[in-house]
Amino acid sequence: MAIRVLIVDTKDERSQALERALAEAGFEVVSTVDEQDDLYSTMEALQPDAVIVDAALPSRDTLEHLGQLGRRYPKPMIMLAEEETPDLTQQATRAGVSAYVIDSISPALVRSMLNVSISSFESFRALKGELSRTQETLAQRRAIDRAKAMIMELRGLGEDAAYQYMRKTAMNRRMTIHELAQELLSATGNKGK
Amino acid sequence: MNSTLANGNAPAPELRRLTLGMLPLNDAAPLVVALEKGYFGSEGLDVSLSVETSWAGLRDGMQLGLLDGAQMLALMPLASTLGLDGRATPMLSAMTLNLGGNAITVSQALYERMLAQDPGAMQAPATQASALARVIDARRQAGEPKLRFANVYPFSSHRYLLRYWLAAGGIDPENDLELRVVPPPLMASQLESGRLDGYCVGEPWNRLAASRGQGHMLCGSFDIWGGGQEKVFGVCEAWALQYPNTHRAVLRALLRACVWLDEPGNREQAARLLCLGGYLDVSPAVVEAGLCNPQQVAGDRQTGRLAGATLFHRHAANFPWRSQTLWYARQMQRWGHLAEEVDLKVAIERCVRPDLYRQAAADLGISAPLVDSKVEGAHEEAWLLEGDRGDIPMRPDRFLDGSRFAP
Repeated sequence: MAIRVLIVDTKDERSQALERALAEAGFEVVSTVDEQDDLYSTMEALQPDAVIVDAALPSRDTLEHLGQLGRRYPKPMIMLAEEETPDLTQQATRAGVSAYVIDSISPALVRSMLNVSISSFESFRALKGELSRTQETLAQRRAIDRAKAMIMELRGLGEDAAYQYMRKTAMNRRMTIHELAQELLSATGNKGK
Repeated sequence: MNSTLANGNAPAPELRRLTLGMLPLNDAAPLVVALEKGYFGSEGLDVSLSVETSWAGLRDGMQLGLLDGAQMLALMPLASTLGLDGRATPMLSAMTLNLGGNAITVSQALYERMLAQDPGAMQAPATQASALARVIDARRQAGEPKLRFANVYPFSSHRYLLRYWLAAGGIDPENDLELRVVPPPLMASQLESGRLDGYCVGEPWNRLAASRGQGHMLCGSFDIWGGGQEKVFGVCEAWALQYPNTHRAVLRALLRACVWLDEPGNREQAARLLCLGGYLDVSPAVVEAGLCNPQQVAGDRQTGRLAGATLFHRHAANFPWRSQTLWYARQMQRWGHLAEEVDLKVAIERCVRPDLYRQAAADLGISAPLVDSKVEGAHEEAWLLEGDRGDIPMRPDRFLDGSRFAP
C-alpha cells in the first residue's frame, strides 16, 4: 500500500509541484493544507503516515505535540534518522523541508520521500529566485534600515526621532515596523517613477 | 557591576564565529542586546542570530549542529538529553535568560462569562480558575462542547503554568477541556476566530490580542510562580566540552546584556532593537508594553499583577537554579509526561550547570548564590540571599496556591 502523505504549505504552486513529484515516486498525497487550517482535526480525520511541512511554518510545534500524543501520529524525522541520515536531515533542513513520519515506514521510503521533497522545494526556490529564511530576515532588516534612513533624511530627524515617528505611525495604523517600512519604500519608489 | 570591566584574565574563545538561535519573542532580548550593543563583539565573538519560526526548528538546528547555542525553554536541555525531544542529544544550560514573561489570556466572550459566573473569584489569580470551573460545569450541563485552550511547545513552562493554574481552580486539564499546541503568532487570530477560548504564551502575544480587543489578560507567570524561571541559554554538552572558553565568553556577553536590560530606562531601547533590527515583526508599542520594567511600574507587591512582566537580571534571575528546572520536571511527572523512574537528580545535575554560571559571573564581578538549589515558594516578601560577592536581594517567590517545593 502506498505511503499516505499530508502536505502542509502556504504556497499553492510549490505544494502542487510537490504533490505531483511525490505521486510520481509512488506516494499518495491525501491532502494539502494551509497554516490556518485546523491541523488537529485534519490529522485526526486523515491519519496520514507522513507529513511534509514547510520548515518555516510555526505550525511545526503543533505537529510535535501530536507526535507526543501517541503511536498513530507521525514523529519528527530527526527522531527516526538512522546512522546515515543526519546528512539528509541537514540537507532537508537547509532546503526548508521538514518531515514527520510514523515509525513503521522503512528508512528507504523515508529517504526517498525526503529526496523528492528536497529537490521539489529546491527547484521551486531556483525557479522563483525565492529567498531562504535567513535571507528573508536580512532583507527585512535592510528594508527597515532603508526606511529609517529615508525618514531621517526627508524629515531632517535624528535616529531617535525617526524611531519615534515610525513607532507612532505603526501604532496608529496597527502595523509592524516591517510592514510600515515596506509601504514607505514602495510609496517613495512610485513617486520617483 | 562595572559595565566597562575588561575581561583581561579570560582565556580567548576557541571559536569566534557563532550562530545562535532564537524565537521571535520579547525575551529573546538578551541575545539581541548582546549583539546590537556590542557585548558579543567585545568578547571577540562574531555572532549571527538565526530567528527560528518554531521550537521544533530550533531543536533540529541544535541537534544537527547548525546552531552553536540558542535561547531555549527551560525544559528543552533536559528533554533533549533524556531523548524526549527529537534525537537524544545531551544539552546543558549554564544560565537563565529571564524570569516570568508569560500570561494567560482568554477570549473576550469567555472573560465575560467567567465574570458573570463568579465576579468575586475573578478578583485574584488564585481564584480565577474556579470561575472558569463554573463556566465549564455550566457548559457541560448545557451540552456545549469543551472549551479549548492552547499553550506553546510541549516542553514548555507555558504548558505547566497553565495546568497549575487550571488545577488550582479544580479543573482537570485532561478531561475538562481540550488542550492544544498552537504557535504564538497564530494564537491571537485563533482566539478571534473562536477556534481557541484561551491560552498561555509569552509576550508580546498576550498584549497583541488585548490591544486588538480580541482577548483579556487574566494573570501572568509571577502570579502562578513568583520567581519562576523562563528561557535559558542552552548548548550541546559536546560543544561546551569542546569550546569551554567560547561558552564562557558567550555567557559573559549575555550576562552583560541582562544587566543592561534591568537598568532603569533601557527597556524601551530594547523594544526598539527588537523591532528595528527586524527580529520581531510586531508593532513596537505592543513590544514595549510587554517589556516594561516591573520595577519602574510599581513596587514588588504589584509586580505580580503586571501580567507578562519579565525580569532579566535582578534577584539572581540569571542563576540556573536546579530546584527550578526540577520543579518543571516534577510537573511533567505530575501530568504523566515523564516517567516516574527517571533519575531526575542525576539528569538535572548534568543539564543545569550553576558551576559554569559562577565562572562567568566571577569574571564580571557579579555575586552568585552559594547553593545550587533552594526551597521554591518559601517567600511571601522580598528577602536576602547569600552570594559569593555579597547578599543578593530576592523577590517573593510564592506559588499561586501557597505551596512550597523542597527539592
